[in-house]
Amino acid sequence: MSDPVGTVPGRVVSAADAADRAVLDRIAAGELGALEELYDRYRTIAYSIAYRITTDAALAEDVLQDAFLGAWRNAARYVEGRGSVKTWLLSIVHHRAIDAVRRRRPTTELPEREDAPPPALTLPDVWAEVAGNLDRDAVRAALATLSDVQREAIELAYFSGLTQVEIADRTATPLGTVKSRMRLGLLALRRELTGIGEGTS
Amino acid sequence: MTCDEVRDLAAGFVLGALRPEEVRAVRDHLETCPEAHAEIAELGGVVPYLAEAVEPVEPPAGLKARILAAAAADLEMRTADAVVAAAAVADAEPAPAPERAPVVRFPEPIERAVRERARRATPTAWLVRIAAAAAIVALAGWNVLLQGQLSDARSYEDGVAAVLEVASRPGSQAAILADPDGDGPRGIAAVAADGSVVLAMRDLPATSGTEIYEAWVIGGDGVPVPIGGFAVGGDGTAVFTADATTAGHGVTLALTRERAPGATTPTLPIVSAGVATSPAG
Repeated sequence: MSDPVGTVPGRVVSAADAADRAVLDRIAAGELGALEELYDRYRTIAYSIAYRITTDAALAEDVLQDAFLGAWRNAARYVEGRGSVKTWLLSIVHHRAIDAVRRRRPTTELPEREDAPPPALTLPDVWAEVAGNLDRDAVRAALATLSDVQREAIELAYFSGLTQVEIADRTATPLGTVKSRMRLGLLALRRELTGIGEGTS
Repeated sequence: MTCDEVRDLAAGFVLGALRPEEVRAVRDHLETCPEAHAEIAELGGVVPYLAEAVEPVEPPAGLKARILAAAAADLEMRTADAVVAAAAVADAEPAPAPERAPVVRFPEPIERAVRERARRATPTAWLVRIAAAAAIVALAGWNVLLQGQLSDARSYEDGVAAVLEVASRPGSQAAILADPDGDGPRGIAAVAADGSVVLAMRDLPATSGTEIYEAWVIGGDGVPVPIGGFAVGGDGTAVFTADATTAGHGVTLALTRERAPGATTPTLPIVSAGVATSPAG
């Protein structure tokens, strides 16, 4: 791992995430009130993501219901050390929203229908540390440092649910160029957000 | 897929921009590859934070109730599944044969309907009823939640959980209570082996003053025996328990609305009624 912080994965936990984990334990035990707490805490950002991706209020509502129900059923499967509860929850929302828009596009191959969220990426601890300091302004400022084509490639993938092949088609760009735009864009974001260099790749 | 190919697809993988077969190939590789593939975490760590950049939009106010209602329904289906599993075990034990159908002193059509249901009761039907009860309960959870009365939903849900728990014990019977005329007050009840009764009801019109709902057990002799009463508030739900009653196999459970506690004969009409059947009944 290129992670410069030599801590055990999952050891760095913010106070907010510790509270979220307690809520998730109660959800796993079938407590409806705990789901209500989780919803109240993240409803705005969760709905914002769903709405941004689907651009459809009714569909965004369905996505949110689907995602929170997924969290309700799979709370016991959340694995510590693989990112915060918030990250986990929002990745479910993102996954379901992309699923919904791809379903609406008949030409796209449908992703596999999964009850569980996508496998969590093992996030270096540095992310747990910076997560508490990341707000909308910080992320927007970081995105603003990307070149237009890098930002476009990342946004078409993350918010529009296009595959890299589809992005190449849509932007009339060679596939290899799309791949490197996405990669360089992500690395630049990482650099901006964490102050950490490009690492080993 | 080789390590180099995975590295080539890493950005697309963490952004969810690969085709399904590519996703599978990358996952399969990562699961078995001895290399750490640090690039996945390096590139992927930043992805969740893209979500922070979105313009905030508040969800509609009613969405929370929808989600909680769906979760409540899910919880009840899980409970019902557990009961079905328990009932399957209880089914294996021999149970006494049901007594002959009771002669009930209630208006003819109701009696016929009630007896008809009792006659049709088979072990399978009993299980189906429990599943149906869970569906009714799920709908009840909906209604109550949509009115924003989560605490009421919880107490009703607790009542249903208690009923299902009793119903799952060996020697217990379960009954679905329904309004003989249609979709009025309904609920679910369990009669334990010792004759104690647990009842959860919904959609009951509120009582006022000294009014109560009286619960009756009607056995083989056809004589209604009062087992206790309860008042109902604006939420229309009630959870009622009665200790050891005379309720035997195949009894009818019925509710009437009475002006005051202490009624010894039921005041018609019947608000809701059902026949208790055991897994082997």
